[in-house]
Amino acid sequence: MEYKDYYKIMGLSRSATQDEVKRAYRKLARKYHPDVSKERDAEAKFKALGEAYEVLKDPQKKAAYDKLGANWKAGEEFRPPPNWHESFDFEGGDFAGGGAFSDFFEQLFGRAGFQQSTGRATRGAQVQGQDSHAKIYIDLDDSIQGAMRNISLSTPEMDAQGYMQVKRRNLNVKIPKGIKPGQHIRLAGQGDPGSGGGKAGDLLLEIAFNNHRLYRVADSDIYLDLPVTPWEAALGATIQAPTPDGMVDLKIPPNSHQGSKLRLKGRGLPGKTPGDFFVVLQIALPPAHSERAKAIYQKMQQELDFNPRLSLGG
Amino acid sequence: MSSNDLLPIHTGTVIEDDNLTLEQLCHACGVHADWVISLVEESIIEPQGNEIQRWRFSGISLVRVRSALRLHRDLGVNLAGIALALDLMEELDALREQLKITQRD
Repeated sequence: MEYKDYYKIMGLSRSATQDEVKRAYRKLARKYHPDVSKERDAEAKFKALGEAYEVLKDPQKKAAYDKLGANWKAGEEFRPPPNWHESFDFEGGDFAGGGAFSDFFEQLFGRAGFQQSTGRATRGAQVQGQDSHAKIYIDLDDSIQGAMRNISLSTPEMDAQGYMQVKRRNLNVKIPKGIKPGQHIRLAGQGDPGSGGGKAGDLLLEIAFNNHRLYRVADSDIYLDLPVTPWEAALGATIQAPTPDGMVDLKIPPNSHQGSKLRLKGRGLPGKTPGDFFVVLQIALPPAHSERAKAIYQKMQQELDFNPRLSLGG
Repeated sequence: MSSNDLLPIHTGTVIEDDNLTLEQLCHACGVHADWVISLVEESIIEPQGNEIQRWRFSGISLVRVRSALRLHRDLGVNLAGIALALDLMEELDALREQLKITQRD
């Protein structure tokens, strides 16, 4: 079991006052809140913070924790002192936050008793299980063709003693064709188990898309940035462009400019009203490495009356 | 053949836009109807339909209600603050998307 440095987690010195503990918690909770932060490990950090605050805000727990001494290092192998539970009794505590705390916390302060958030679960009554939620990442192709995905879930479940246990399970889920980012799939009866013979809740899967090398998806539309030469944009051309269904011939109208959007109707995500496929032109400039290329640019300079900074008063 | 191949395949139903009832939304998020109604009054989520019995919510509402719940529970944010935070966070997400596009090369 690893020692946790709750002061370090909260960025506080050991002499911090209760007010400082509270202020540090507020500040860091905003920073690491999983809804606010985009950091990958925000959820883990937020949990660690919640645990640290649980101890440091409570004078009794803080005193007990302080008694372990200041010489421990975070991550160091730790065992509670032999007579720990005689001097402090935290067993059966009722902790906020709901989530399971670390082994370190549980060794020192006992395990958090699980509280039903809605308070509806009374022993013996027939209660339907809660719906549970998970977010899964799929590839664009999964939505275009439909797919089967294996997902691994860790669900907290209450054991016979009323303690939370994390259970892992695997599910094979069919990804329906045309599903959009942000949509949900409802799997009936795959949520939290009911109690007293009540029905299990549903599992709601929120769909998100992995980044694609070429395409990006917005609602049911697909976007592609397509590099073109200045002459293709200026004179018009028929060129080949990749789409998820394969290469297509694409007609570039004359006098297209940087960022021009061309729409291929109905070539986005499939569905009752299929999305569109948008090609966004990116004009690539040929380098002036050779004498010939330089000569052509010089000729354009002499022949073309072109001032891109006109609107800037240049 | 891996052990996963032996598992049954679950076929779910897609929650289409505007087809969640108030009851379904409450059950899905584990909250009371009063809380959802106060979110509607604050324009944090916007159902289709005029009377409460006919309200229909989109899948996005699921995400917003659960975010709102966490902001309230973890940070003590009130309804007006939740509305502001969610709007700003969505704007931030949209801007980050834009940034990703312009920084591609």
